Amino acid sequence: MRELDYDVVIIGSGAGGGAVAKELAPLAAAGKRIAVLEWGPKLADDAFTGREVEMARQLYFDSGGVLTKDRTLTMAYGRAYGGSTVVYTGTSLTIPEDVVKRWDVPGIEYNDLQRRSAKYIEENNVHKLEESELNDNNRLFLEGCIKLGYRAQQFPINVKGCRSSSLCNLGCPNGAKQGTHRVQLPAAEAAGVEVITNCRVTRVGERSCDAVVADPGFGLPSSWESGEVRVNAKVIVVCGGAINSAALLLRSGYGDRLPTLGRYLTLHPALILVGEHPHEISNFHGHPKSFYCDEFWESEKFLLETCMYFPFITSKNLIGFGAEHSKLMRAFGRLQMILVLAVDPALESNRVLVDRDGEPVIDYTMGPSVLDSLHRSMVASAKIFFAAGARRVHAPAGASFFIERKDADRVEELIPRSNVIPGKISVASAHIMGGCGMGREASDSVTDSWGRVHGSPGLYVGDSGLFPRASEINPYVTVMALADRVAEHIRDNAGELLAP
Amino acid sequence: MVVAESVTPEIVSLDSGGRARMAAIIDAALMDCDAITRTQFGTILTVIRLAPVLRFGRAFDRLDGDRKNAVLRWFQDCPVSILRKGFWGLKVLVFMGYYGQEETWSEIGYAPDFDGRAGVRHA
Repeated sequence: MRELDYDVVIIGSGAGGGAVAKELAPLAAAGKRIAVLEWGPKLADDAFTGREVEMARQLYFDSGGVLTKDRTLTMAYGRAYGGSTVVYTGTSLTIPEDVVKRWDVPGIEYNDLQRRSAKYIEENNVHKLEESELNDNNRLFLEGCIKLGYRAQQFPINVKGCRSSSLCNLGCPNGAKQGTHRVQLPAAEAAGVEVITNCRVTRVGERSCDAVVADPGFGLPSSWESGEVRVNAKVIVVCGGAINSAALLLRSGYGDRLPTLGRYLTLHPALILVGEHPHEISNFHGHPKSFYCDEFWESEKFLLETCMYFPFITSKNLIGFGAEHSKLMRAFGRLQMILVLAVDPALESNRVLVDRDGEPVIDYTMGPSVLDSLHRSMVASAKIFFAAGARRVHAPAGASFFIERKDADRVEELIPRSNVIPGKISVASAHIMGGCGMGREASDSVTDSWGRVHGSPGLYVGDSGLFPRASEINPYVTVMALADRVAEHIRDNAGELLAP
Repeated sequence: MVVAESVTPEIVSLDSGGRARMAAIIDAALMDCDAITRTQFGTILTVIRLAPVLRFGRAFDRLDGDRKNAVLRWFQDCPVSILRKGFWGLKVLVFMGYYGQEETWSEIGYAPDFDGRAGVRHA
């Protein structure tokens, strides 16, 4: 096995890894050797084709359909130069103060996270789109919320030169989304940080990690030749995303002394809901996600967001099959869509494990409170669709495939809680959090508030795995804020950590 | 393919090219799955094809349309979660094979554009 020596190795290049790389770039500029090892490929600009199946296969783990152990929920997370920031919609919210209080991590203060979040919001060109840039799918959501008296707000998003392709979740074909692949990684590379793609880290230790470089058959070639490699480093920052970071540490043996490793996983279980309008609306042109409704955030534990998905994902999220399913799909240009995010509790039993081969197994069960939230969210969404003028609504737990407009005042009755059946309705997640939670000590957490693994001075975690509970909002800005803390701690202690 | 045609009736009218593209998409998805999932896929397909023998005296392929739908609906709502989830997974693969084809987008009115600014009109 080849051996290479670095001062700092960062595993993963998404919101966490990208932020750490850029913040440590001054060390690279000063002569320290820093490498980012990214499992996924780097695609050339013209390789973002907008074709759903092709892009999902190239940019997501398991094409965006990683299954939980009980097979009731799929997870979508990215695998690419830029990680999930290549495939998110770029919605950029700062974590609410109440959530930080609920996190209750000594050393984590709202004002600190808010200040760091503001830095990334500026760095990533976060702003609200002009009214003229909002399509009907988004405007109708706002209109419905206003009619019902529901609180709705506009998402700030991180785009520059958006051309309204609506293909954000397949990787922006116009390079407009300001993910780490556009902002932090190029800046880090310019300062001397190396980013090695197609490089999967298989095991991590106190001062080294083992990796395999393999060509996936698409994307630009890795700067390292294929094969196994051992990378020695004085500092290792694990930023592989909540699932893969926990799995990497587990298969590397850290579970023995960190009993909470992999546990307290939260997912923001999500549903895609659909209302059909009597006429065509603009939906698959224009940014897909401009508004959210937090009316039910505290009371019923769910958020509603605008969304617009592609044909396969849409078809998968409709309940049923056959003629009525086809009929709704053929109304694609008349569909309004709402994404539900349930705020799930952090339970010890919901966790990442590894199987005998060291592959991650996601042992997650949607409990009654989550199913209640999903049920109530369907009722609220149906009301919004009808208030916005929909002729009929498809609710996955509906008593019938369609709820017609004449029955709009009966949605409570026509969407029975008993129909919210895991394994029948499609539930997905793109907000994967926890498993390497911050806390006080090894008995209750994996890291301290600086992301440093308890008992391992040179080993850090810098991604959404750090969340001790759900962020209750779209998480990427918070991931960057926490990664910023990790990088600061390394910089401030570089003399000791990086000593020969 | 008979089960797939009941899940998405438009598959009946796919030409040979469309069917080949669908098979290629599903094959690629299955190749990305682990061996256990591939085995489960084969098992649920077999169960769906043979289960109707117990109730209707015929395999799925030989049922009329209404009975095919009744069988699939039973699996969709099945109290036995492994069968319910198995049908869900099968359905997802069929949808991927059909709606994942660029050639079917025009059938449903989906026409993405890298520059969609002209399409952001208001109702």
